[in-house]
Amino acid sequence: MKNKSKHSLTIMRGAAAGLVCLIALSSFKSPVTADEPYDVYNYNYLGEAVPSQAGYLAERSVSGLDLGTTALNAPSDLFKDSQDFFYLVDSGNNRILKIDSEFTEIVQEYTSFKMPDGSETSLKNPKGVYVSPDTGLMYIADNENARALIVNPDGTVKQEITKPESTVYDQQLTFLPQKILCDNAGNIYIVLNNTTKGAAMFNAAGEFIGYYGANSVAPTAEVIANHFWNAIASEDEKRYRSRSTPTAFDNFDIDTVKGFIYTSTSAGSTDTDIVKKVNPEGYNLFDYMSNFRWGDLFSTWYSGTTYKTKIVDIDIGDDGSINCLDATTGRVFQYDKEADLLFIMGATGDQVGSFAQGNVAAIETKGEGCENIYVLDAGKGTVTIFGQTVFGQIVHYATKLYNGGYYEEALEPWLEVLKRDGNYRRAYLGISSAYYNMGRYKDSMEYAKKADASGRYNKAFERYRSQWLRAHLTQILIITAVLIAGIKGLKFFLRKKRKKAAETAKAGSDS
Amino acid sequence: MMDLTQRQWVKHVVFHPFEGFEDLRWKKGGSLKYTAVIIVALFFALIAYDRWCGFQFRPLPDAMFSVMPYIMKSVVYFFAWVLGNWAICTLLDGEGTMKNICIYSSYALIPYIVSTFINVFLTHILVRDEQVFFSTVYYVGLIWTGILLFSAIKSVHQYTFTKTVAAIILTLFAMLVILFLCVLFLSLFQKVYVFFYSLYTEILYRTRV
Repeated sequence: MKNKSKHSLTIMRGAAAGLVCLIALSSFKSPVTADEPYDVYNYNYLGEAVPSQAGYLAERSVSGLDLGTTALNAPSDLFKDSQDFFYLVDSGNNRILKIDSEFTEIVQEYTSFKMPDGSETSLKNPKGVYVSPDTGLMYIADNENARALIVNPDGTVKQEITKPESTVYDQQLTFLPQKILCDNAGNIYIVLNNTTKGAAMFNAAGEFIGYYGANSVAPTAEVIANHFWNAIASEDEKRYRSRSTPTAFDNFDIDTVKGFIYTSTSAGSTDTDIVKKVNPEGYNLFDYMSNFRWGDLFSTWYSGTTYKTKIVDIDIGDDGSINCLDATTGRVFQYDKEADLLFIMGATGDQVGSFAQGNVAAIETKGEGCENIYVLDAGKGTVTIFGQTVFGQIVHYATKLYNGGYYEEALEPWLEVLKRDGNYRRAYLGISSAYYNMGRYKDSMEYAKKADASGRYNKAFERYRSQWLRAHLTQILIITAVLIAGIKGLKFFLRKKRKKAAETAKAGSDS
Repeated sequence: MMDLTQRQWVKHVVFHPFEGFEDLRWKKGGSLKYTAVIIVALFFALIAYDRWCGFQFRPLPDAMFSVMPYIMKSVVYFFAWVLGNWAICTLLDGEGTMKNICIYSSYALIPYIVSTFINVFLTHILVRDEQVFFSTVYYVGLIWTGILLFSAIKSVHQYTFTKTVAAIILTLFAMLVILFLCVLFLSLFQKVYVFFYSLYTEILYRTRV
C-alpha cells in the first residue's frame, strides 16, 4: 500500500516536474522511471536521517554473459578512461576487459601482453587498472606476479615495475600491487597491502622515489598514553612495546583536472582519514574536517556485530563530485566537491540496485554531470548501472552553479529542487545565497531561517537592517523627537498638577 | 519613615543593594505574591532567551525544545536554593525564616530577569558583530543579581561578610544533596511502581486462567 501510493506520488511528481522542466529547464533529459528497492534518505543538519527523493535509480545490472563472454570471476576494479571506455579487471580469470561506453559489448579482451624482448607474458590475479588520459598508457597492478605493468595502447608492454631495490623500501616486505594510478607528471602511485607508509611512488622512468600520502594516527587517549610510556622506556623495553601506527589507505582515485589524489580507507578501527584529498606535496586538504563522518553517521548494532561504514572505493566524477562506496551497506554516498552530501543510493539485498553485504568492490562514474554511476559487485560478478533522475539532474546542475559562485543563476534550479523535496536543506541555503546576492535581504533571511543557518541569517539581517534604517531614518527621527517632547511635557504637566494639589492641601490645613 | 507599599519595596530593594534588604527586614516588608510573580517571570525569561531571540543569536534548534529544563532551571533550582539555605542557616544561627529567605532571594533575581528580557529585545536589532552590547547587559544583570543575593542572605540571617560566604558555599552543597536525593527518590518510586504494576498484571493473569 505504502509502496503503491509512493509510486503514484512519484509518477505524479514526475509528470508535473517533467512539464515544468520542459518549460523552464529544457536541457534536462526525460526522467528514469523505476522504483528503488529501498527507502531513500538523506541527512538533515541535525544529523538525522530524513526521507528524500532519489537522485539515482538502478537501471540494470550487467554480467559477463550479458557482455558476450564468460562469467566474471571475482572482479576487483573498474576504471573509465577519458574516452569513456571502461576497463574491468576480472581477477579470477586473469584478464582485463575493455568495454564500450554504453556498457553493452566488449571492445577488447587483454589476457597476455608482449614484453619488450618479444616474449609473451600473462597476468596473475590482477587487482587494479588505470589508463592515463594524456598518453593512453594502461597501468596494471599485477598482484600475484609482484609487478606493475605499463602497457602501450597496442598491447605491448612498455615497462615493468618490480620490487624496488632502494634502501628506503624494506627488503623483507613483498611487493604486491593492489591499486595503481599515475598523475599528470607521469609519476606512478601503487597501493600495497603491507605498508602503512602510504602509496609507493615511482617517477616516470620507473624509479622508486618514496612513499606518498600516509594516513595519520588519531590522537586518542591510548595513543597519547603510549607516546608517554615510550618516551620514558629504555631501548630494550621499547622493542616489546606496541607502537602506534596509522591504518593504511587501500584505494584511491585521481582528479585528473585538478591533480588531487583522493584516498579511501576501509579499516573499521579508525574514524580519521577515512577519505583524504591529497595535494602533490602529500598534504591532506581535508585535514580540517577531522570530525566529519563519511558515509552513514551512525553505525548499527545487531546481534553482537557492529555494522559500520566501510568505504572500499572512491571515485571523482567529471564534475568533481566525490563518490564513496560503502561495502557494509552496499550504499553509494555521493558528495559534491565541498564534501556536502548530495545523494545516498543502494542497499543490501538481491534486487537490482542492492548488493550482498561486503560484496561491492569498485565504483565509477560517467558524464559531465555524473549522469551514471557504475558499481562493481565482486560476489555476483556484475556491474550495476545507476541512472540520474530528473531530481538528481537538477540538484547537480544547481550544485555546479552554486559551487562555481553563480548564486543568482542557481536560484531557479534550487526552487525547482524544493518543489520536489522540501527536506533538501542545501536548496534553502542556495536560495538564501541567491536572494542575498540579488539584494532581496528579507527573502534571504526567510530562507536562511528555514535552513536553520543562523550565520547566513546574520549576514542577510545586517544588510536588511541598514537598508531599513536608511529608508526610515526621517520617520525614526520624527517619532523619537515627538516621544521625547511628549514625555517631557507630560512630566511637566504632572509636576504642576501635584504642586497645585499640595498647595491647596496646605492651604486647607492652614485655614 | 520608610512607609512603602509592597511595590515600592521591590524598587527600593533592587536599587539599594547594600542597605535595601536591611530596611526591608527592619520594616518587615516583602510579599510572597511578588515571589510567585518573579519566579514565573524567571521561567519565561529563560524560555524567551532560548526561543524568542533574534534568529542570528538563537542557540537552540527549534526541533530540540522541551519545557522541562526550564521548569528545572527556574522553579526547582529556586526552591532547592531556599530549602538548602534554610537547612544550612538554621544550623548556623541564622535568623531568617523560610518565608523570608524565599522573599529576599526572589527579589534579588529581578536584575537578571530584566537583563534577560532586555537582551531578548536587543537580539532582534543587533548583529553578531555587535555582541558586546549584548554581553554587557548580560554581565551587568548577572553581577547585580549576585550582589543582591549576597546582601539578601547577609541581612535575612544577620550574618557577617565571611559567614555569608561560608553559608552560600554550604548552600550550594546542600542544593546538590537535595537534587541528588530527589533523583534517587524518583527512580526508587519508579521501581516500586513497576513492582506493583507487575504484581497487578500477574494477579490478573492468574485469576483469568
